[in-house]
Amino acid sequence: MNAHLRRTFYLFVAGFVGLVVMLVYWQVYSREALANNPENGFQTQRSVSSPRGLILAGDGETVLAKSVKRGTATGPVYDRTYPLGEPFASVVGYWSTRYGATGIEISNNTDLSSIAGEPETLDDLINRATGGPQPGNNVVLTLDPGLQELAYQEISASSTGRGAVVALNPETGEILAMATSPSFDPSDIDENYPDLANAPNAPLVDRATQSLYPPGSVFKVITAAAALEAGVSPQQTFFDSGTYELPGYTVNNFEGKDYGEVTFTRALAYSINVIFAKIAVNIVGGEAITQMAINFGFGDPYDDFPLPVSGSSVNSLPPEQWTTGTLAQTAFGQGEVQTNAFEMALVAGAVANDGELMEPRIVREVRSPDGIILDNPTPSVRRQALPQSTASTLNEMMQEVVIQGGFTEAQIEGMKVAGKTGTAESGNGLPHSWWITFAPADDPKIAMCVMIENGGRADRGAMPLAARLMKAYLEDGV
Amino acid sequence: MILALLVTTLGFATLIFVQEAASPPLVYGAYYAGTLFMLYLGVRLFLPHSDVLLLPIVTLLTGLGLVMIFRLTYNVEGAQKLALTQAVWILIGSGAMFLLVLFFRNYDRIFDYKYLLAIAAVFLIASTFTPLGYSVNGARLWVDLGPVNFQPSEFARIALVVFFAGYLAEKRDVMAATSRSFLGVQLPAIKYFGPVALVWAASLGLLVFEKDLGSSLLFFAVPLLMLYAATGRTAYVLLGGILFTLGSFVTFLLFEHVQLRVQSWLDPWRDPDGTGFQILQSIFNIADGGLLGTGLGAGFAQTIPEVETDFVFSAIASELGLLGATAVLLAFLAFTYRGTKIALLAEDDASKLLAYGLTAMFALQTLIIVGGVTKAIPLTGITLPFVSYGGSSVVGNFILTGLLLLVSERAGRREAEGLVYRDDPWGSP
Repeated sequence: MNAHLRRTFYLFVAGFVGLVVMLVYWQVYSREALANNPENGFQTQRSVSSPRGLILAGDGETVLAKSVKRGTATGPVYDRTYPLGEPFASVVGYWSTRYGATGIEISNNTDLSSIAGEPETLDDLINRATGGPQPGNNVVLTLDPGLQELAYQEISASSTGRGAVVALNPETGEILAMATSPSFDPSDIDENYPDLANAPNAPLVDRATQSLYPPGSVFKVITAAAALEAGVSPQQTFFDSGTYELPGYTVNNFEGKDYGEVTFTRALAYSINVIFAKIAVNIVGGEAITQMAINFGFGDPYDDFPLPVSGSSVNSLPPEQWTTGTLAQTAFGQGEVQTNAFEMALVAGAVANDGELMEPRIVREVRSPDGIILDNPTPSVRRQALPQSTASTLNEMMQEVVIQGGFTEAQIEGMKVAGKTGTAESGNGLPHSWWITFAPADDPKIAMCVMIENGGRADRGAMPLAARLMKAYLEDGV
Repeated sequence: MILALLVTTLGFATLIFVQEAASPPLVYGAYYAGTLFMLYLGVRLFLPHSDVLLLPIVTLLTGLGLVMIFRLTYNVEGAQKLALTQAVWILIGSGAMFLLVLFFRNYDRIFDYKYLLAIAAVFLIASTFTPLGYSVNGARLWVDLGPVNFQPSEFARIALVVFFAGYLAEKRDVMAATSRSFLGVQLPAIKYFGPVALVWAASLGLLVFEKDLGSSLLFFAVPLLMLYAATGRTAYVLLGGILFTLGSFVTFLLFEHVQLRVQSWLDPWRDPDGTGFQILQSIFNIADGGLLGTGLGAGFAQTIPEVETDFVFSAIASELGLLGATAVLLAFLAFTYRGTKIALLAEDDASKLLAYGLTAMFALQTLIIVGGVTKAIPLTGITLPFVSYGGSSVVGNFILTGLLLLVSERAGRREAEGLVYRDDPWGSP
């Protein structure tokens, strides 16, 4: 009888071995596939059952995103809320279990999430080892909360309500404001996403970074930089007859004016297309303009910037294949030139900062929940866009734009202001209204680009808007 | 033994720390540890030659069960007290076992009452059809006896094992003898097979109508294994296999709930929020555990319906991982090994068959439920011995362990007194 007992015992052993094999199959072999199965809600559940870190504005106090605890039958869950809503939505982004995540919420997810990434402090390590509650780290942005809010209000109150503002500190590259309108309230994203995604005015698109527009005359700053490098001096005179005939293309001035004999400085101040086209065709050439644009960041997708940026471009063809008409149009920012407020604010910043284009930064630091600084990137130069002497010449020329151009709207009491207008033909409705500016011009604290979609003339749309923001920031400290 | 208690304490400590849970009154923990320790000492005192490993394994498994039940229910409304209730059942089980050890040292006398036991077992099972019986989740397995509700099948099966052990020991020689053959298969004499078949059929039939598939499977397989062990005739196994296939097919055709079970086993994805929900949640949780598990309290095993009873193993696999779950399976295997060893060493046939039957029942029950929750076989609802929540199951398994200890005591004493000298029972035959 014992032999039979032994035999059946071996059967049981085989059974237990079979169970272990089954466990290995589920827990090792098909673990990944099951975790990602759409019927499996554990990953989502895990992400909502622990608090994410805060997202704070540049003052380190204004809360832009926080996790709020709510008790449920299966334990506490954390809802992500955004106290300040629309003005910050394009930067902060949203965190939805249904529609994914955008903005800082996804770019800094490993910081904010308590479950992703490696433990960074001893407390964190102990918490994880013991499975204790693990709030995520806090992310402090560079945004000036007052300026950001004001910028959003201004742009949404503009003539079309569509546009973008980007303001930065030219010396550090810290972004002080990056607003886009129309926007959305990320707190309600789960309910509103389908409507927002289909809305004709595209509120989910960040117009500051993701859309591309013809820049029009603000691009003349880049052409002027290339011209100065090519040996043109600010006092050099050129003759404007009002039109410039090229094979297959005729250049006209804005509103059909002609200015006669003018200096290069005045040509920039009056934004004379004919003279910029002549300088581009006869002196500078397409390659130098393209190279200067690249120096300023055109063609750069800014992959290391936390938010997605659509790279600006001069033309789909290499310069040697351009016609003279293309070259002429490119000189004053029409043709195929495409950019956005983010890139043009960096251009203004580089001129203001003696030609050094600083690394654009929107995350100032990452702190553990108990305040220990985990990551604190220091300002760094991304690129020397142009030599210091050329930059200061261009700076003075841009100050003359405000003075000789007679743009009283742009002036700030007791302060030198530099800038450049852009009224870019969009091919559809009124032209886009552009203004890039920085102040104080002799010691720049802020550089800014304002763009209003179909906002019309620069001096009636973007320029006064920018001036109000600059004044608020520089005089009142917002 | 001390190790087992330490593991349980550590588990509770982790849980309380992690979940910021209100600690269950420590005094209950002390009661639990104290009771099992006293039980261990008592058994060592009264049955000094019995198996030394069984009780520590039981302590480990019940302790693990308590930890898991506490973890799964402490924050569930209406079920916070489940772990305490389980602890009380463990106390009652320990008490029952102690009484057994104290008064039934001449356990072979129960074989004289085997027919009575068999009838009692059948009546126990049938009692759920009386007005006292009631259904839970579609299966009518419960009897309401005023203050306590219990599952009679948990006790009936032990009685049945006793019956089969006693009867087969008596008749095994005649049953092994060939009387006639049919189509080349040698058939046993109907005369001797009759009572076995009758009890077998009666209990099986009742269970099938109670829709208790897990117990039916046990009731079918355990006597078959005992029959094989007693006679060594593969004919029984063959016959059993044929009967099993036939029976499965018939029940599949007859009962909708059996069809649903098989369907949700073969293709749970067809209705992931309905019939396939439970098994899919079980699989998701097991997979979620990975190699090392999520850690106690960090899993989502509460998503599985009935997790603290039938699906407690999924929760273990989820939170303790492949390593923890394998360790738990090893503990069950160790129990099976000791049980088989007790059967091998037992002197008389009845004791041998009794120990073997109980062990086989224990092992099969584990295999069936763990196989069920891991989708290795169709799911049939039975408890994981000692670990799952369930008073009848816990008390029943304590009695089962008590009987194994009694059998081992006798063999151990004979050996110690030098009355017999035997070769290593695990040596080749």
